[in-house]
Amino acid sequence: MIPKVPAWNRLRRRLTLTNLNSAVPLGLVFMALTVGMGIQLPARAMAAAAPPEAETAKAPEAAAWSAPDQVDAQKRAQEVVPFVAEVRDECKLCRQQRLRDEGLGVKDQSHSYLLLDSPIIKRTEDRYGPVRFMHSKHATITQDCALCHHFRPADESASETVRCSACHQDAFRQDHPERIGLKAAYHQQCIACHEEMAKGPVGCIGCHQKNAPDHKDLVQLPANPEPSQVTSECLRCHESAGKDMLSSAHWLWKGPSPFTLDHRKAVHHGKATTAVNNF
Amino acid sequence: MSHHHAAPTHSKFWTPGVVALAFVAAVGLVAIIARYIGGIGYVSNLSTARPWGLWIGVDVASGVALAAGGFTTAFLAHILGKHYYEPVVRPALLTAMLGYTFVVLGLLVDIGRSWAIWKPMIYWNFNSVLFEVAMCVMFYLNVLYIEFLPMVIERFKGRVRLPGAPDALNRAIDSLLALADKVLSKIMWVFIIAGVVLSCMHQSSLGALMLIAPTKLHPLWYTPILPLLFLTSAIAVGYPMVVFEATLATTSLKLDSEMKILTPLTRFTVFLLGIYLALKVGDMVIRKTYVYLLDGTSQTNAFLIEMVIGVLAPWLMLLSPKVRQSRRWLFIACTMVVGGVLLNRVNVFVVGYRPPVSETNYFPSIGEVAITAGLIAGLMLIYRFLVTHLPVLNKPEKEVIA
Amino acid sequence: MGISRRNFFKILSVAGAATATARTPARAWESQAPSEAYGCIVDLTRCIGCRKCEQACNEVNKLPPPDRSFEDLTVLDRKRRPDEKTFTVVNRYYSGRIDERDQLIPTFVKLQCMHCQDPACASACIVGALSKQENGAVNYDVSKCIGCRYCMVACPFEIPAYEYHDPITPRVMKCTFCYERVANEGKLPGCAEICPVEAITFGRRDTLLKVARDRIKENPGRYVDHIYGEHEAGGTSWMYLSAQPFEKLGFVTLPDHPMPRLAETIQHSLYSYLWSPIVLFGMLSGIMWAFRGKGERQEDHEGGNL
Repeated sequence: MIPKVPAWNRLRRRLTLTNLNSAVPLGLVFMALTVGMGIQLPARAMAAAAPPEAETAKAPEAAAWSAPDQVDAQKRAQEVVPFVAEVRDECKLCRQQRLRDEGLGVKDQSHSYLLLDSPIIKRTEDRYGPVRFMHSKHATITQDCALCHHFRPADESASETVRCSACHQDAFRQDHPERIGLKAAYHQQCIACHEEMAKGPVGCIGCHQKNAPDHKDLVQLPANPEPSQVTSECLRCHESAGKDMLSSAHWLWKGPSPFTLDHRKAVHHGKATTAVNNF
Repeated sequence: MSHHHAAPTHSKFWTPGVVALAFVAAVGLVAIIARYIGGIGYVSNLSTARPWGLWIGVDVASGVALAAGGFTTAFLAHILGKHYYEPVVRPALLTAMLGYTFVVLGLLVDIGRSWAIWKPMIYWNFNSVLFEVAMCVMFYLNVLYIEFLPMVIERFKGRVRLPGAPDALNRAIDSLLALADKVLSKIMWVFIIAGVVLSCMHQSSLGALMLIAPTKLHPLWYTPILPLLFLTSAIAVGYPMVVFEATLATTSLKLDSEMKILTPLTRFTVFLLGIYLALKVGDMVIRKTYVYLLDGTSQTNAFLIEMVIGVLAPWLMLLSPKVRQSRRWLFIACTMVVGGVLLNRVNVFVVGYRPPVSETNYFPSIGEVAITAGLIAGLMLIYRFLVTHLPVLNKPEKEVIA
Repeated sequence: MGISRRNFFKILSVAGAATATARTPARAWESQAPSEAYGCIVDLTRCIGCRKCEQACNEVNKLPPPDRSFEDLTVLDRKRRPDEKTFTVVNRYYSGRIDERDQLIPTFVKLQCMHCQDPACASACIVGALSKQENGAVNYDVSKCIGCRYCMVACPFEIPAYEYHDPITPRVMKCTFCYERVANEGKLPGCAEICPVEAITFGRRDTLLKVARDRIKENPGRYVDHIYGEHEAGGTSWMYLSAQPFEKLGFVTLPDHPMPRLAETIQHSLYSYLWSPIVLFGMLSGIMWAFRGKGERQEDHEGGNL
């Protein structure tokens, strides 16, 4: 995962450089920003407030770049939207039909990439990094918004599709005991669908990066290991990673693919076929 | 005839049999030390699924049942006033006292926190059957010690000679004994009755222990009348246990066989064991558990042995006056009754206990057997020591004259 | 002799009749189950067998590190039971169902203390070290425990484990329902909090029962129509929903009445206010008094001694 403090720094730096672009001391800018954006985290922010001054002085532009998608996704991931208490009660087929009638479909997505990193989940645990969710890719493959956006808010003025965390927030709410929490909503939806389609990861680290321990002492390899020795050493502990890998596109990708550039159908190499290390 | 006089036997202590017993006891002691160093798991085969094993089945449950001679003879001789049977009361009482002492010793080994055994006196759970058993055993043990006191007093009253102690101290202890003798003889009836009441309570409750585990105890034994069965079997085994123990003691110490007391005593057993047998069979018929009898499992076989060899056969044997008058056959029949009740307790707590989820088998480890055997051997050693030095057993008649 | 025996039975029957009329019938046994108990529903159709609950349980309860990593799913090849180092385990069962790719569909079953509404262990415990709390947890107080292990004998689910290898201060070990976390910190049980798919639903027991019934009703064909633990052993705080019959998943079939009912009924009807021992004592004193003359008649009686 992307460590929190650097992410903040980068975000802040971007904002500082692009929006304000002034000679006001950074500490003051930062404080103004925190107040202005109504952001919490005082202790962590203050602790990190000093060093960036020197850092930015050296080489700001070179270190600071990150994809605009990612920054946007990070920002969106931190938002907690108001809880939708009531949903319209309709069957799946009715909903699919209605979406079709209204002409809503894959083309209407507003975000092609999402970072699933909600503070709702972080409140109780933080063992795994956020999931990078290719929204448009999933939409393209399934061609069915109602698979995930299975209900809409009862409020007519609300958007037809809302984010998962609008309805699914904390687990075991006393006022909605039947409503599953956000973490379970994600996992149930992803895993069940991946299993049903026999496609996509179903284990933890297929989607998440784990906050990994230091591997210096864990890995036991000779001085000049063979590639296959390295792989088997990894598999010694990460057996399920091997299995997950075998169901990933990285392994299965071996021919004409709808996902290659310009949908070119001339790809004849793949990890599982012609690569050197296909242990 | 009721002329009798108990006296110390003053026989030789270290015979080959006693040496063998001492060896068994020493082995048991080593195992007990191992248990307090490595834990219960180190010496036993007890597990999550089988938390109670040989120690509870034999040391505790059977120990309590086989000590029933104490209260049954006391009831006969002192409450019903049949003083004819008084000669067997003292040895039975000693057996009971030692039996319960060793029940507590066995419990100390078995419970995980031996040092916390006093806690039931402070933390009470009136819902717990075990709490009632523990309270009764505790009080009864004290009652037994009090009932035993007269034998000590009788031995030392007017004869206190502490080595190296000044005369005044000896006299003081002596007058204390005299006072105790006087007071005890006035209030002993309270303890005699209390002993019977406490015995009835915990003998039955020992059976009620398993009522909380209907899914674990084999249906051949699990019945709502389990407490009643435990009580009747304890009462029934009382006199056979007296015969068993008296025959062993008189043979070993070369005393009078006391057949003229034991023979009429076992007439009661025909009646008492008959009640137990009727209850057992009736319960089996009413609950239709006879369907299990021929399924060949180890539980069923153990039940058959318990009932046929341990209850039915000796009952039929005791019906015959010839058996009751023959020292050898009476001993055999009574041993079978004792074995039957012992097996019943082992069956209820060990063999018939089948945890349905884990279905693990249990067989006692060498360590468990060593501790149980060691405790029994220790009990027998102390018995022999006490009858040698205290007036417990009946003097042979010729010596009375001498 | 014959007369005395007749007398004896006469006295017995009179005394017995007297007590029978004096005593009103024993009060009916009443459940002590708390009304506001929390509980959990384990939905076996949701469980993916990730063993995260085992890991969280281990961390929350500060249990010793496991022999094999919690990420090692090969431990599922063997059936396990909770033990003194593990309060909860997940087992895998194959009930024979296969999916469209001819793969056997596994069912994962999480095991832990069921926290019975009327727990046999708490009824059995000689010192009351085990007790049912208002919030539903069956709590263990080690400071009272003497280590008799009657709780383990009594438990119909065979859950309590014992530290057999501690010679002096062994403890009974079982799921705590994270009593401290739930009661004092307002948190969730470790396993319920971490479960990624909410196979464990935490809440008030009565609410959970409603949720469970709704799930069965609203997903026809998904579940067998049975909430394991609704009635088993008089009801448990932890309950299960399943797609397969519970017998095929290692669940023990239990009667619907609470385990302690029979023993407690006998116990209380016999010993409340110690009436029966007192009556027995009185009867025996009477008999002894009635027979005292016979005793004096026989010679050589050592003054009331034994």
